[in-house]
Amino acid sequence: MTYAMNRLTVPVTVDEEKCIAAKGCTVCVDVCPLDVLAIDPIKGTAYMKFDECWYCMPCEKDCPTGAVQVDIPYLLR
Amino acid sequence: MTALTTQDDEYAQLRQRMADTDPEIRRIALMDMTDSEDEEVAEPLLIDALRDADAGVRAQAAAALEGYESVAVVAALLEALDDCAESVRAAAALSLGELKDSALGPVLLAALSTSSGYAKAAIFRALRELRVQESLAPALSAIADNSAEVRQAAVGVLGYLRDPSALVALSLVATADTDAAVRRTAVGALGFASVLSDVFPALIKALRDDFWQVREEAATTLGKLGAVEAIAHLIGTLRDDYWQVRIKATRSLGRLKSRAAVPAVSEALFHEVSNLRKEAAVALG
Amino acid sequence: MDTIEIEVDVLVIGGGTAGPMAAAKAKEKNPALRVMVMEKANVKRSGAISMGMDGLNNAVIPGHATPEQYVKEITVANDGIVNQKTVMEYATSSFAMIQELDSWGVKFEKDETGDYAVKKVHHIGTYVLPMPEGHNMKKVLYRQLKKRRVDITNRLMATRLLLDEHGAIAGAMAVDSRTADFHVIRAKTVILATGAAGRLGMPSSGYLFGTYENPTNAGDGYSLAYHAGAELSGIECFQINPLIKDYNGPSCAYVTGPFGGYTANANGDRFIECDYWSGQMMMEFYKELEGGNGPVFLKMNHLAEETISTIEEILHSNERPSRGRFHEGRGLDYRSGMVEMHISEIGLCSGHSGSGVWVNERAETTVPGLYAAGDLACVPHNYMLGAFVYGKLAGESAAEYCATHALAAIDGKQVEQERERVWGPLGVVDGLPPSQVEYKLRRMVNDYLQPPKVTRKMEIGLQRFAEIRADLGRLSAADPHELMRAMEIHAILDCAEMAARASLYRKESRWGLYHYRVDYPEKNDKDWFVHVQVKKAADGAMSCFTRSIEPYLVALDEEEKTAYQKLRIAKEPAAA
Repeated sequence: MTYAMNRLTVPVTVDEEKCIAAKGCTVCVDVCPLDVLAIDPIKGTAYMKFDECWYCMPCEKDCPTGAVQVDIPYLLR
Repeated sequence: MTALTTQDDEYAQLRQRMADTDPEIRRIALMDMTDSEDEEVAEPLLIDALRDADAGVRAQAAAALEGYESVAVVAALLEALDDCAESVRAAAALSLGELKDSALGPVLLAALSTSSGYAKAAIFRALRELRVQESLAPALSAIADNSAEVRQAAVGVLGYLRDPSALVALSLVATADTDAAVRRTAVGALGFASVLSDVFPALIKALRDDFWQVREEAATTLGKLGAVEAIAHLIGTLRDDYWQVRIKATRSLGRLKSRAAVPAVSEALFHEVSNLRKEAAVALG
Repeated sequence: MDTIEIEVDVLVIGGGTAGPMAAAKAKEKNPALRVMVMEKANVKRSGAISMGMDGLNNAVIPGHATPEQYVKEITVANDGIVNQKTVMEYATSSFAMIQELDSWGVKFEKDETGDYAVKKVHHIGTYVLPMPEGHNMKKVLYRQLKKRRVDITNRLMATRLLLDEHGAIAGAMAVDSRTADFHVIRAKTVILATGAAGRLGMPSSGYLFGTYENPTNAGDGYSLAYHAGAELSGIECFQINPLIKDYNGPSCAYVTGPFGGYTANANGDRFIECDYWSGQMMMEFYKELEGGNGPVFLKMNHLAEETISTIEEILHSNERPSRGRFHEGRGLDYRSGMVEMHISEIGLCSGHSGSGVWVNERAETTVPGLYAAGDLACVPHNYMLGAFVYGKLAGESAAEYCATHALAAIDGKQVEQERERVWGPLGVVDGLPPSQVEYKLRRMVNDYLQPPKVTRKMEIGLQRFAEIRADLGRLSAADPHELMRAMEIHAILDCAEMAARASLYRKESRWGLYHYRVDYPEKNDKDWFVHVQVKKAADGAMSCFTRSIEPYLVALDEEEKTAYQKLRIAKEPAAA
């Protein structure tokens, strides 16, 4: 079987300047009910890995540095 | 899998991270600890963190202490009410507001005399739910405070205490305080009166307050008190400029099962705002 | 990938609302018990109330409502199909639960003297207690779990229950969504608290995760109970809610109602007497939406500035706080415009309607040692407070069961079979991605099961579901996360099939829009005043049968019986 690659914009964005994942913070990854966030091991910052967001906002509310921003997914906007 | 059992080495590691020179690492350690450690273990560390050099760490600690109920915690949070950072003061006030154990009342009361403004209001807000009799006197004297925030919080304490000896003072606040929010709170607080005549004049006066939310509260409180003596006044309120106030008067007249009000309430069935029409129908039904 | 074995006394599956309460109460009943909460996400922010709740919809508070009144209200709202004993158990326990939650630090609205500020939204009684500061719910629950030393495991998805040779509970199996490790948990009792089947229908936006329910609640528990041989009930009584269009979240009538907001048609006119969610209300909503007066809106632009600011503060900080961001993006201000509403995708949820795992007033299912609470347990219109009350009952019942039962032996065959099923997708290198299969499945659910229900369409739907079932072996997972999604599809498919079969079985219309069958448009009490149950038969096939309704504890008079049939406003008096 062959697979196509589709580009998608994601609703959760992380300000890499503010993110302190490199220092051991995993708050946003921990609180996401859908487990869609992950830490990029090379950059040491969080990012949205799976396009499965409920726009529920714990990641943004619980982030200790205000690095996470949740937008409404484009399809719903 | 994360188990909540404490491991000694994990604890040592945590202590080390909490002493790190990087405030962000200290903050993350603090969050991890709040999640995993038992309260007995966490409490002294959180209290220490309230004196951290970094405001972010202090605010985090103040927030994490929500639900901890000990004299040491309350004393530390009271101190944090005077923190130079606004975020720390706000978090400390919120955590104090969560207290449930009335045995902690004396600690709060002792801090009242040396506090003012924001901190004093926060202490009164914390005292409200505790309902300790000893807060009566300080709350009564605080209704003359310069700060409206303090007056409102003190009135809140009196409303929850439900001590009839406060009714005279509350009546005065309800009708004469310069701040509308304070008057509204006082009007609501009058709802604990067991003898209507103690509060009747104040509530009737409040029905004519300049601010609609005070009038609304007065109409509601008269209904709660079952004040049949107020029926004529409430019928008058059915002509209030604000339909929101009329709704509350309608509801109260319904609760009072007033026959005299039927014609006036029936008129509301034709008001342009459907909320009022609906409320009138309920009151008549 | 490892197989990990754990042994506990009480296993609670689901750490949202009912689950933490069940665990806390089991531990309270007997602190010596080993109690574990197993959560698919993270207990700190999981379930329907991850961001808190803005109010109680069903508070039975002395002075405002009586348990008898409430039982009547719910009996009528659920069109007579209730086991009143279960509703009564809730109603008589609800006030004590409010007080206990209050003592734990949950904030309910009170007046200035500290009395609960109860508001009227329902048709008959007064049950709404707002929680303008209700955003700390999960924090409060987490603290209670810690205090009682309940074990917590996060990111584990339960896939099947383990049974002993007599069909009683022996434990559960689960997969880790981060590592794909397979877990075998031996337990004396299992409490299911996995929430609604919220990923059944597809939102009209086409965004798979833009569901009304927290999409983590994929219906796992319905499937777990079914395969363990438990009876499920009222599956044909779908959950369908009036929601903010596109955003697909509540707006929410319970919050705005007491402040004066209401559901209106395109002319800004009220067309239903009462905004309390029921099938009958949804039917009127549907008619208005499809009729000449549509679309339907939530109207707040007649309220005072002070009131609107308060509403904004509540709606934009609780339950679904991104509502504010959504409206802002479209330039909608409650002060001037109205909020466009539409009808949600279908789901299974007893918290809102009546579809769930059958339980009695002790939260016992029909499988010994298995308990259920919350949105997936069949206690109609139970909402959040019902989840807490039944969580408590389940926890206490489970603790009692532990006192007289030993751990059952684990059947290696069940474990082997399940591990093979669960790890299967990891071994399929050239297969179907879960997202694609889920999209197709849920589109079929919309096409064939969304009311109005049509017999022929549902029959075709069953054929399509069977074809997708045949595809399950071709599901492939690139990583443990996708593996979780693949296993969720198995559960969603079970729910879809149950929904179709139960709907076909009940040959009448009932619950307004929830079970509106165009081939049988009338309610038929003579033949269908019964529960419809779904169960896995001995031969493994899905079977439907009826269960008679227990004699009512609280009788209804004729007028009360039809109260919810008269929700449409006959004719508004002309404005003065």
